[in-house]
Amino acid sequence: MKRQVPLVLCFVFGIAMIFTRFSPHSVSQWIYEEVISWILIIGPFALVLATVTLIQTHTTRIRRRTEHWQYSLVVFAGLIIMVLIGVPFGPQNSIFEWLYNNVQLPMDATMFSLLAFFIASAAYRAFRARTFEASLLLLTAVVVMMGNVPIGDFIWNTIMSWSPWTDKVSEARQWILDNPNLSARRGIILGVSLGVISQSIRIILGIERSYLGGGD
Amino acid sequence: MNMDRRIVFILVALAVIIPMLLSVNLPVSVSEPTQKFYDYVESLPAGSTIMIGFDYGPSSLAELNPMAKALLKQCFDKDIRVIGMTLVVDAPTLVSALIQEVAAEKGAVEGEDYVFLGYRPGEIQVMLGIGTDIASVYDTDYNGTAISEIPMMQNITNYDQIDLLVDFASSDTVESWIIYANVQYNQKIAAGVTGVIIAQMFPYLQTGQLVGLLSGILGAAEYENLVGAPAKGMQWINVESFVHLLIVVLVIVGNITYFIHRSREA
Repeated sequence: MKRQVPLVLCFVFGIAMIFTRFSPHSVSQWIYEEVISWILIIGPFALVLATVTLIQTHTTRIRRRTEHWQYSLVVFAGLIIMVLIGVPFGPQNSIFEWLYNNVQLPMDATMFSLLAFFIASAAYRAFRARTFEASLLLLTAVVVMMGNVPIGDFIWNTIMSWSPWTDKVSEARQWILDNPNLSARRGIILGVSLGVISQSIRIILGIERSYLGGGD
Repeated sequence: MNMDRRIVFILVALAVIIPMLLSVNLPVSVSEPTQKFYDYVESLPAGSTIMIGFDYGPSSLAELNPMAKALLKQCFDKDIRVIGMTLVVDAPTLVSALIQEVAAEKGAVEGEDYVFLGYRPGEIQVMLGIGTDIASVYDTDYNGTAISEIPMMQNITNYDQIDLLVDFASSDTVESWIIYANVQYNQKIAAGVTGVIIAQMFPYLQTGQLVGLLSGILGAAEYENLVGAPAKGMQWINVESFVHLLIVVLVIVGNITYFIHRSREA
């Protein structure tokens, strides 16, 4: 029973939503709009689930004194402080805004900024023209990287000032994005879409049941 | 030969700091996707409505805030009404500040020229909900004012009254907007995205599902140029130029040393 009910619900709603896409009838549209409202109500429950999981994970770490368990205390401190200020007083509260602007925002931005340093280091170590394919990747990366910034065209225009060809680096970058990149991406999108369709049919028909958990 | 990575880090820091101190100003040409974006907004008559999804958090604001700012300036200059919203939980505070800053500069009035709806959870649910009735998703704006009491929202119910949807994104929200707002409701969409996801967007640009596209800091700089308001985008693309140049030089040096090492071994 515990497994049959979700399977039946999944089948009924899956078929109903497919049906609403192909029928402009008023009843069909009413069903569609009603289900959308339900989804809007059900959706936020994921936040509760996420919060409970976060608390469980970090409580276990603190209890077992796993490596760097002290950071879990920081997680709880951040969570409790922001909830205690944000929920009763709202996100426009001056203390909430101060914490956001002076703690969360700079930390978040700093973490992302560090990527520039690691990318530079990784590019120096990893980009080697060992094979033909690696050389092709290397050349493409250099063209796109230089075409993505004005200094690429500036260098080209300075060196090739005697010729009528200008801004060729950014043009080459655009050509790479518009042609080989676009073709490859489209292939990936088509493949993924077909996969999603087949997986959806399997879920609606109850063939794929892993979303219920516990194997089977 | 392997250079100590701390040296690489110092070189990157210098490539950022020196051009910033010297205020380098390289010429920026405008790419076709950016021009299309600008032209589409320019073609909208005064009184049109643009919905902007500010779908990024603090980690991507350096790339996306400048382009969002340039678009807001263009909208307020042209008397285009702006509906702001976000699907990212940690975005509302920074977005609210950004809109208010530009509105104050351009003399735009909240509730008449613009409204910021804030955040609602559930990406797809929100996109589909806006298609039926905005008020079913956002009963109030970010300040808590009921949607029914906001003057500019009186005649706006769903996508039918929105002339363009712009998504500034650092993740896959653009693709979701295309699937649920463009395909399902025929909503015109333009996007501004971070450099790392730009390659994913080109198939949609070619099919016309995106009417225009801004690519990272370069897109922001190009758009600032078009709007005639050079700001952070222009400043940062010059800095980024030198970091990219440094990376290319490092790759070349790395390959030269690799080939020297290989020939010695052989």
